[in-house]
Amino acid sequence: MRLGSALWIALAGFGAAVPFFGSTYLMGVVFQVAMWIALAQSWSMLSATTGYLSLGHAVFYGVGAYVCVLLTGIIPFEFAILAAAGSAALFAALIGLPVLRVRGPYFVILTYGLSELVRHVVMRIESALGSFGRMIFDVPAQEVLLWWMVGLAVLATLGAYAIRHSRFGAGLAAIREDEVAAQTIGVPVTRLKLLAFIASAAIPGAVGGLALLRTSYFEPAQAFDPVISFTIVTMALVGGTDSVRGPILGAMGFALLSELLWSTLPQLYMIVLGLTLIVFVLFVPRGLSGLVGRIGGAR
Amino acid sequence: MTLLDIKGVSKRFGGLMALSDVSLQVNKGEIFGLMGANGAGKTTLFSVIAGHIPPTTGEVVFDGKRLAGLSPDRICRLGLCRTFQIVRPFAGLSVAENLRVAALYGRARKLSATEAAQIVDDALDAVGLADRRHLDAGRLTLSGQKRLEIARALATGAQLVMLDEVMAGLNPTEVGTMLDTLRRLRTERDLTFVIVEHVIGALMTLSDRILVLDHGECIAFSTPEEIGRNERVAEVYFG
Repeated sequence: MRLGSALWIALAGFGAAVPFFGSTYLMGVVFQVAMWIALAQSWSMLSATTGYLSLGHAVFYGVGAYVCVLLTGIIPFEFAILAAAGSAALFAALIGLPVLRVRGPYFVILTYGLSELVRHVVMRIESALGSFGRMIFDVPAQEVLLWWMVGLAVLATLGAYAIRHSRFGAGLAAIREDEVAAQTIGVPVTRLKLLAFIASAAIPGAVGGLALLRTSYFEPAQAFDPVISFTIVTMALVGGTDSVRGPILGAMGFALLSELLWSTLPQLYMIVLGLTLIVFVLFVPRGLSGLVGRIGGAR
Repeated sequence: MTLLDIKGVSKRFGGLMALSDVSLQVNKGEIFGLMGANGAGKTTLFSVIAGHIPPTTGEVVFDGKRLAGLSPDRICRLGLCRTFQIVRPFAGLSVAENLRVAALYGRARKLSATEAAQIVDDALDAVGLADRRHLDAGRLTLSGQKRLEIARALATGAQLVMLDEVMAGLNPTEVGTMLDTLRRLRTERDLTFVIVEHVIGALMTLSDRILVLDHGECIAFSTPEEIGRNERVAEVYFG
């Protein structure tokens, strides 16, 4: 495990150091990898711990992007990113109580539907305002954005680790196993689920803001694209949901795979995404993390 | 001293009166038996007391506090915990981890890791599951899972433990062990028990007082000896 930690620290260090020696292309790849690690890791704070599988995390990413585009130019970008994270968390707090009343497949469908609803509402608002996409002109330097994104990936990973090894995480695991039994032995299930939901929404909000600043273009259909949600779930499941390294492995594997495919066979990307998910769900339920554990002889 | 006071509790499910005007007092340190045929309302009464379903009328007072409107987790933190007739282990967690959650979130919250570990060890010893602590709870035998239910309730630090048919499905030897365990827990830990049981012999030997429910109504409330002589009870049970 010591070796593992050292490896992850080296990886984060490499990501942060890329601007000093890497090409623009490599910086782009690292930005993508860090982004997906941050998203998948945040998703795992709710979904891997409680078993409430969110298929709507694009909504937090989109809310973050939208808030950020509205605030850019008005306040410094650092504050816009924090506001993006705060808004996503606030949005989760507002919708959390009703949404978390249902579980299993209903929760999956509800989160997906809600995300789509918000996407269409924002599209309507934007077209009513006569705007078909907003350009941003004054964006921070690419390496600054990269450092922020690597920082978010590290933060999300530390957060996920802290949750899993805390009293909070023990309560969430009990909720995943049997919510009624958990409540009977004193676990405040509603409060814990809501806190996990908020925790898992905040970083995706900041990620949405950063991704927006990197492309310097906001378009609601893209910012709230459900493919973002699908990709998060696929990465987390392929990586493995029963450890913190799972989302990292899944995000790295997929982000690198998609880089390869985008440059050679872009139309294959979604097909490969789907096939990989099927293969892993059927044959490798513990994901890449489980495979690595078996090879390494560790747990 | 009265620990649990049930005052005129009724529960209506549509046209069905699951409980009608049930009143009883459980004293501190007592083992209180609840008898009744299938559908008599025993489990419904448990669910009302533990806060899983609200009563239609009447109220429940535990340790001087009214439980009306409190969620099951709040009630547990006050020191009242139930088990389930159909066991509900956290199947994917180890036996010890099941109890650790109870210790961390039950009545004695805000524990250090060592204190929680001590509570887990004590509860495991109390029910004889110490040697299976690392096993996934889902892999325990039924008897083991019934004992896990009890251990988990104990680990919450509850003063009053309500056991819903913890002996159903156990063989006679296991029933004997369970009786010894419960008696020992009462004296060693100063606990109060409310017990629902189909194994009538067990209930008769264990309980200080017994209440018999039939179709949601209380038809007898007395010591085991008198319940044994009660004609109405015999009629309900044996036709």
